[in-house]
Amino acid sequence: MTDTARAEAFYTHVGSGGKVEADDWMPDDYRAAVLKFVEMHANSELMGVLPERDWILRAPTLRRKLALTSKIQDEVGHAQLLYRVAEDLGKPREQMLADLLAGKTKFHNVFHYPTRSWGDVGIIAWLVDAAAIVSQQALRDSSYAPYGRTMKKICWEESVHIMHGRDVVLTLMTGTEGQRSMVQEALDRWWGPLMQMHGPPTDPVTDRDLIWQIKSKGNEQLRQEFLDIYVPRIWELGLTVPDAALHRDEATGRWQYTEPDWDELRSVVTGHGPASQSRLEFRRLHRAETQWVRDAVLGVAA
Amino acid sequence: MTDVEPATRDAVAELLLTLADDEFVLGFWDSEWTGIAPMLEEDVATSSIAQDEIGHARAWFGLLAELTDDDPDRIAFGRPPEAYRHAALMNHPRTDWAFTVARRFLYETADAVRLEALAGSSHAGIAGLAAKMRREETYHLLHWNAWMRRLAEGGPDTRTRLNDALARLWPDAESVFSPLAGEANLLAGGILPESMANLRARWVGRIDAELASLGLVRPTDEVGPPADGRTARTDDFRWLWGEFTSVARSEPGATW
Amino acid sequence: MADRVWEVFQQAAEGDPMVHGGSVRAPDEELALHYAREFYGRRQESVRLWVVPRDAILELDDPDLLQPPFDRSHKRPGGYVIKHKLEAARQRAGTSGTGGGGEGTE
Repeated sequence: MTDTARAEAFYTHVGSGGKVEADDWMPDDYRAAVLKFVEMHANSELMGVLPERDWILRAPTLRRKLALTSKIQDEVGHAQLLYRVAEDLGKPREQMLADLLAGKTKFHNVFHYPTRSWGDVGIIAWLVDAAAIVSQQALRDSSYAPYGRTMKKICWEESVHIMHGRDVVLTLMTGTEGQRSMVQEALDRWWGPLMQMHGPPTDPVTDRDLIWQIKSKGNEQLRQEFLDIYVPRIWELGLTVPDAALHRDEATGRWQYTEPDWDELRSVVTGHGPASQSRLEFRRLHRAETQWVRDAVLGVAA
Repeated sequence: MTDVEPATRDAVAELLLTLADDEFVLGFWDSEWTGIAPMLEEDVATSSIAQDEIGHARAWFGLLAELTDDDPDRIAFGRPPEAYRHAALMNHPRTDWAFTVARRFLYETADAVRLEALAGSSHAGIAGLAAKMRREETYHLLHWNAWMRRLAEGGPDTRTRLNDALARLWPDAESVFSPLAGEANLLAGGILPESMANLRARWVGRIDAELASLGLVRPTDEVGPPADGRTARTDDFRWLWGEFTSVARSEPGATW
Repeated sequence: MADRVWEVFQQAAEGDPMVHGGSVRAPDEELALHYAREFYGRRQESVRLWVVPRDAILELDDPDLLQPPFDRSHKRPGGYVIKHKLEAARQRAGTSGTGGGGEGTE
């Protein structure tokens, strides 16, 4: 079979629900597309540690300290799982880390913003993780089977994080006036990035990730799912969403909202977010500081 | 322990505070490695061990809270810096990987000696918790001894870093076995089965044996723990205290 | 000493099969075991782990060997459908409706 014929058979296979394993033959396009997708996801888990990490030291009770440290530990674990999947596609972990820190590869928008209070800790663990889990659930059936299996494990672990986040928010919302306004203030800042998180709607005819079943749902569908589940849960606490246009159209069942700022999204993911450079610099610093350990223990320039 | 005389109760409270604060403060410093440890897999391991320490602190604070009719979080987060009773070994920040590994090696070995003794305590609550903690601490000792070996065998540069860290830490390490206020009382009642001085001697023996097996030497002579081994506080600890109490202090009395 | 990839298999409860969980990178056996414990055991989700260097694993995925084309239904319970024959035998014996059930009768 020629490569072209082989590729055609491959695309028919993945397009109709077939699965691919790490050692299987795959066209270069598909391999590159999966690698890019998974690498950005891995980068996001690793960078996602940083917004919340500041609060590990500041967790105000023993139980919150345990829960928050555990949650962030899980994110590091997810980065490991995803870098392993990407590495088995042919790109060494060290190269991926180097590219991330050099600004050559991307990570999700929400991790480019600063945190300001314990209210952020609740909002991030509840709503940012919720938006992520909506995407991740749709990836469990990826045509690239190692990624799909990893997503199943990650989704299970993320469900614990959302419960922790919601618990933090509920405790604050039933607390002092100061605590309640802390949550509202955090929500006001995070709503914009949350609405941008799933990305602008893409054309299903040209979205290769969708056609090749690397992912199974489009961006707008994910955003609608997120709004459907979580906006009622936000409103029932007496919180307001900073978008006067947000409402569910009863006739169509679809949520209407102010168009997210896609320019902001583009600018942020290319490294111009408020915390993008400081976080990359933080990572560079710590990676350099521990290089001697890797050299000693792993034996090669790692 | 409501029918216990005040002197004994105070002595037990002091013991529990030293146990809880050692684990609490070390757990805080080492949780700082979350996200920035040398390797991804090691990051998860170090974080687990730091979380175990917080869990152990929570258990000791819980026992103390029962004894003094208080609340574990209030004890953990509600004291001024001078009222913490952790060993001077825990006044240092995590610093770098060699420092963290060396401190962990010194502390885990000490904690193992201490818990072995306390597992035989006449106080059922203390004996029970000590026995439970020994099971988790087994992994800690295995893990940090593994890192001591890797750094000792990692070449001249890493051995130097390790030796420097051990030399800096040694004087404060001895403070884990600082004599306790009320120790005579605890010994008389079998609550503390052996004196801190005895435990320290056993600990030094184990440290020397492990260092010898790694081709390392204890960098300084024993000096004995200073009188303020559990009361002297550093700027680094005060900074940590400021951080870990910041949210709790922002809304006094609130539930989090 | 260099980094290797180790595959981790986990047993969720006593008597369960060993199931592949994923892989870790570690420079040697000792740390491989510690890291396997972290990734596949820190939540008390396993009672046993097997840790194997990836290069020790032999893989077979040849469909000619694993899914050969000729009929092999005689090797599986689903290959024996007796429903109609059972009904005919019952009718012959006059015992139709008393039903004994069993494999192949659905």
